[in-house]
Amino acid sequence: MAYSDKVIDHYNNPRNVGSLDKKDQNVGTGLVGAPECGDVMKLQMKINPETRVIEDAKFKTFGCGSAIASSSLATEWVRGKTVEEALAIKNTDIVRELSLPPVKIHCSVLAEDAIKAAISDWKKKAGEEQTAEASATSAHS
Amino acid sequence: MGCAGFSAPTLGEGDPENSMTATRTQTEPTPSLSCWSCKAPSGGGHFCAACGKIQPLPRDADYFAFFALPQKLQIDEPGLEQRFHQLSWKLHPDNFVKASEYERNLALERSSELNDAYRMLRDPISRVEYLLLRAGVRKEGTTKQQAPPELLEEVFELNESLDELREAKSEGLPSEARGDLTELRAKLTEAQQNFQQKLAEVDAELNAVFAEWDQTLAQPDGDAARKAVMAKLNELLNRRSYIRNLVRNVGEELGQN
Repeated sequence: MAYSDKVIDHYNNPRNVGSLDKKDQNVGTGLVGAPECGDVMKLQMKINPETRVIEDAKFKTFGCGSAIASSSLATEWVRGKTVEEALAIKNTDIVRELSLPPVKIHCSVLAEDAIKAAISDWKKKAGEEQTAEASATSAHS
Repeated sequence: MGCAGFSAPTLGEGDPENSMTATRTQTEPTPSLSCWSCKAPSGGGHFCAACGKIQPLPRDADYFAFFALPQKLQIDEPGLEQRFHQLSWKLHPDNFVKASEYERNLALERSSELNDAYRMLRDPISRVEYLLLRAGVRKEGTTKQQAPPELLEEVFELNESLDELREAKSEGLPSEARGDLTELRAKLTEAQQNFQQKLAEVDAELNAVFAEWDQTLAQPDGDAARKAVMAKLNELLNRRSYIRNLVRNVGEELGQN
């Protein structure tokens, strides 16, 4: 199976690798994993509590090229978006952008989960009530 | 892998020689398949019980049934290998050169199924994965398999320490840092032993739950028990795939793969 050029580009030049201060009130952290392939993905966002704009996003992913590319793309996309806009990102958008083959769709699902998990973590810190969608995605099996 | 069965596992279905399984199939001992050639009941095996002609594969047959095995997880592996060799011999397309085209195709079909089935069942991990896939407990691709947060934390940390070692290795090579490399190798080797230890622990746990599963097969009303055991197996497999990746990654760093 060949990776698309976009996947290779993100894999070779991942955007926004790194981490943010987990303890910062304005930082939301999402840690998700895909047990079938053993990938783990951490996505963090620094969110302005007034404007609800995601001012910074970092990721660190241990996994295959598609998982790295999906999370790299996710950080690129959420930067500058509001929390609500970021929550609207669907894994299918990532699949389309990166031309992921069917066997790699779970990588994009992981990235979407990571976005939702990070935002839900931030909301929890900010004392906001968990929204229906956030609690749905953080609910375990 | 072609797995269409997503219903609860119907134990012993299409499994004529299996007296182990207790539930609904006991009242109908063999699937009422009739031979395509002589029309007599074929017995459900590879060859017709009456006329000996090779039979088509039943649509929903599973790999256990192919070897006439109950869906046990602790299996007699040398016995399986022996059975594989016997069947390869019996089903080999060379035996059918003078047969009709239909029979030649059946031989091909059964031979390739034999290889798939053997590859899947001979390894305990792929065997349990197969069982869970058939039961719909474990799915390939898009489904969400949630891992417990503590496990994710742990795996992430292990990965990070491995990453640090990796970076130190690629940066700290030139001139003065010769000594560091030896130290690094020692650290990596230690990490590897640690991961391998964890892998061995999971495998031991899995083996214990394999035994538990096999016991539920003998229970006539074991559906709930089987479900619970399957969930346990699934969790262990998830944990195992993370650890297996760590073992592999550290092995790569040490130049062993």
